[in-house]
Amino acid sequence: MKGRNSGQIRIIEAFLAIFIVFSAIAVSANITAKSPSSANNGLASLGMQALLQLDSDGSLAAYITAGNWSGLRESLNLLLPAGVSFNLKVYDNQMRQVNTETVSSGGFSSQEITLVKYVCTSQAPEFRVYVVYLYLAVAKQ
Amino acid sequence: MKKSRKFRTDCSGQLLIVAALAIAILIASTSIYVYELTTQTPSLENSSMAELALAVKAGLRNAMISALANITKGGQKTVLMENLAMLAGAYMQLHPQQLCQIRCTLLNGAGYEDGVKLSWNNNGLGVSSAYVFFTLKILGPAHNLTINDAINVTTLLAAEGCYTIDRNGSIKTVSLTCNVFNENKPAQARKIIVYWEQTPELWVPAENPDIIYLGNGTYTIVFAVTTPSESVNVSVQLVDARNIFVLANATCNLAS
Repeated sequence: MKGRNSGQIRIIEAFLAIFIVFSAIAVSANITAKSPSSANNGLASLGMQALLQLDSDGSLAAYITAGNWSGLRESLNLLLPAGVSFNLKVYDNQMRQVNTETVSSGGFSSQEITLVKYVCTSQAPEFRVYVVYLYLAVAKQ
Repeated sequence: MKKSRKFRTDCSGQLLIVAALAIAILIASTSIYVYELTTQTPSLENSSMAELALAVKAGLRNAMISALANITKGGQKTVLMENLAMLAGAYMQLHPQQLCQIRCTLLNGAGYEDGVKLSWNNNGLGVSSAYVFFTLKILGPAHNLTINDAINVTTLLAAEGCYTIDRNGSIKTVSLTCNVFNENKPAQARKIIVYWEQTPELWVPAENPDIIYLGNGTYTIVFAVTTPSESVNVSVQLVDARNIFVLANATCNLAS
């Protein structure tokens, strides 16, 4: 009777070991899946802060209204950290694209692209509302 | 031989306990780690909500500056509410899933009418101001954020001065000191025009006024007039860097 039981215990132990190994794999897979989303949130925050800084004195809308796309590109280059690529698209409140030329720091080499949506208003007497789509990616070395 | 077999079978129970403890520690540490990771998500959500709230506030402020610039140029006071409604509509359109509600109330009272105060008096003080209360509600997937706040956009001009008479007694040299403020902080002007009252209700522009910026929002304006009147009424009309117009009238008397 004892000999038969010890065999059953070995089988249970083996199943237990397999279960532990698989649960560890499942948990670690879950953890690694969460990492890119937090990185994306950090990138989105960087983009949002850059746009907020530009918008605080009305510069963002002034660049757009004047069609000064090179000035806007330079400002974003200064405000975003090195190694972050961007591509910016501007729409009016009817979602028609406003920017006539590309406002970008270059091609995206990363697969992880973060989108920041921002509503920008002008300080000029003729009120304008623009919707800014800022695409961000970490440039791969 | 029998003893060693007996020892092995005896120890198998202890090994199971040790293994169970190891597993328990592993599970506990893993769950703590996973818990920490999951608790990071609301803080990220909170920061993105806070950034959205800042963006809304910046947008409202810009909309108010635009409206005040328009109104002081002769536009209707309804422009202020129209601008704010347009901005709120744009946010509703942009964040349909993350509901973003903006409700604005214009101040009525304390000199404000429909959120706007234009006080261009003869006491040397001119005020162009807008005041709006707003409630912002951001409904996130895990948390909601409600902000009750107010935004004040004010351009203030304070003008005072005096005049001196030349030896012939015909030409009066008027010296004015003007201080410009945006929300109680010194500000710069984009354009300054000075008028003086030649005869009652006839205002003429000052000829070649010498306008010097002294910094800290302070300007000195010097110009000459020919008038027999004992006091010189002047009107300083200013457009600040945000295109908001303000006017201040002052009376200049002979310098003591």
